[in-house]
Amino acid sequence: MNEKVLMRGSHVIAESAIRAGCRFYAGYPITPQNEFTEYMASAMAGLEDGTFIQAESEIAAINMVIGASMAGARAMTSSSSPGISLKQEGISFLAAQELPAVIVNTMRGGPGMGNIAPSQGDYFQATRGGGHGDYRTIVLAPGGGQELADLTGKAFDYADRYRTPVVILADGMMGQMMEPVVLHKAVDPAELPPKPWRLSGAAGRPSRYIRSLLLDIAQEEERNWKLARKYDNITREIPRAESYLTEDARLVVVACGTAARIAKGAIKRVREIGLKVGLFRPITLWPYPKRALCELSRSVREYLVFEMNTGQMVEDVKLSLEGRGNVHFYGRPGGSVATPDEIAKVVNSLYHRQRLEEES
Amino acid sequence: MSLIQNFDLYAPKLVDRKEYLCSGHRACQGCGEVLGVRLVCKGLGDDVVIANATGCMEIVSSMYPFTAWEVPWIHVAFENAAAVASGVEAGLKALRRKGKIADRDVKVVGMAGDGGTMDIGLQALSGAMERGHDMMFVCFDNEAYMNTGIQRSSGTPMGASTTTSPAGKVSMGQKTWKKNVAEIMVAHNVPYVATVCPSYPLDLIRKVEKAKKVKGPSYIHCFTVCPTGWRSSSELTIALGRLAVETLIFPLYEVEDGKYRITVDVENPRPVEDYLKHQGRFRHLTPDQTKMIQERVYQEYNKLLDKVENLQAWSDLKYDLGMLD
Repeated sequence: MNEKVLMRGSHVIAESAIRAGCRFYAGYPITPQNEFTEYMASAMAGLEDGTFIQAESEIAAINMVIGASMAGARAMTSSSSPGISLKQEGISFLAAQELPAVIVNTMRGGPGMGNIAPSQGDYFQATRGGGHGDYRTIVLAPGGGQELADLTGKAFDYADRYRTPVVILADGMMGQMMEPVVLHKAVDPAELPPKPWRLSGAAGRPSRYIRSLLLDIAQEEERNWKLARKYDNITREIPRAESYLTEDARLVVVACGTAARIAKGAIKRVREIGLKVGLFRPITLWPYPKRALCELSRSVREYLVFEMNTGQMVEDVKLSLEGRGNVHFYGRPGGSVATPDEIAKVVNSLYHRQRLEEES
Repeated sequence: MSLIQNFDLYAPKLVDRKEYLCSGHRACQGCGEVLGVRLVCKGLGDDVVIANATGCMEIVSSMYPFTAWEVPWIHVAFENAAAVASGVEAGLKALRRKGKIADRDVKVVGMAGDGGTMDIGLQALSGAMERGHDMMFVCFDNEAYMNTGIQRSSGTPMGASTTTSPAGKVSMGQKTWKKNVAEIMVAHNVPYVATVCPSYPLDLIRKVEKAKKVKGPSYIHCFTVCPTGWRSSSELTIALGRLAVETLIFPLYEVEDGKYRITVDVENPRPVEDYLKHQGRFRHLTPDQTKMIQERVYQEYNKLLDKVENLQAWSDLKYDLGMLD
């Protein structure tokens, strides 16, 4: 068992990535995730087989990741919202070329330059692909603390297993907050499963190629269906969510990441005054844990979606429930962070407006 | 006599008294960059449109709902100040041609830091210079990404310790030589390129005025001291700028139609150590490493002298159409 250590969120992701066998990191400065890049700069320097590159732009960084991934390395880049927008072309290419990679988005207020405060405004961008073309990326939404360590390792495993880019959606608050975590045991990159598709020089064997240009319409259609079949498998195999106090709940708050943490505090408060409220927290945002949310609708009718944006995940909740519940929304966009008290008040008024206290 | 009376006595014809970047902004104590912007603005006057890339100067001068700018100013993303300035220039030109706005030359100016010029913005800058827009671009080079917390850029000098090129047991800090963007701009055949430093204010203003008069693209590289990022005392800002020039690390010169001219002569160059020793970012350097830097500085300066001595203005070059007669 590893020891518990006190670490900043962005350092937890960076260290966990290295322990998961990540040996290539390319980044570019942007607030609020510079600690991540800085940690990688010194940590990779201390490793014999580690590579850190500060690129000349976000676009260069993601394309370096494409190159490193083609060469077979566990490769990673990170940025914050405006920088992630610049990386979208590369992410689309990663998906098309079926290359594994992990991209961390420490979300900040937007659109445009926005600000540097925590936000969840990039939900659509992450879960709908983000770049051009018919593709999806696996999107993991850690709730902070220990989960940052757990999900970072998982992200690399998913990326390799499905040969697809994986996005970790964090936010400015999660990246800065220091919390106790137990880091995972370090993986030796040499012991990871071999990648027979990687490009490594063709001496003594037929050459391989990785491409995304398929001018032949039939070939491109087949590639799209092949990707779709892979996404179907992912949708079946990895959806994950946490349910908290939902057994007897009459109202369930649906929230992810930092918003879920705030909601948890709110739920503790309203439970004290006897309101039967629970929390549903999706951990994979794509694939969305539809089935688990559907199961809840057997016993719960009222849902309150709380997001740090003007309403994005609420669409996935409605798509999952398909009318089997009333979906309400409360949002705080632009870097505003609600307090648990504020959410408790919203929950309280909704609870009474829907006359949930009268139900037996 | 107070300083301001001195100003009236000696400087009114030399320096515009009006401020175009007003006080109250949030730059650090001893910021050389904001001084550079202020002096550049004095050279420009108020008939300008400035497109400012993301960076310290944008953050400290425009925290909503306040602004320190007394001239038309637009903030854009990190990589595209030169592209946006190109658009402003082309837009104004079209409106002038159609008679929708007064027919007078409004200078369009792109501004960015070293990251926004030399790294992520180089593509947009190269495009703007190549297309020949009637615009000026000013790079405020403080040798790292200071706004995000001192990460290295391609403007960071060899040996400097930054948060992404940390000096320590396995590294001497930055391991590459500084990119020379002024030379890259000269290679674009633009009519005017100059290097300036706010420690030499009159030289700076004169060059900006010259660049403003140029019809077509011009580029000014402004060397600015950053006490926060360089780990130097804030009262040394002006002195460090002078030392950079006196040690030949940052020579002040201009290139007009291909003709090089050094504008601030250095009679007796000082050793680079005089400049390096005041800065925490160089504290770890060994005598051997300092010597390596000294050698490179001489080499670069010799290359510059060679150009000053041997390159002529385009109009004085050997071949011309007259030869065909």
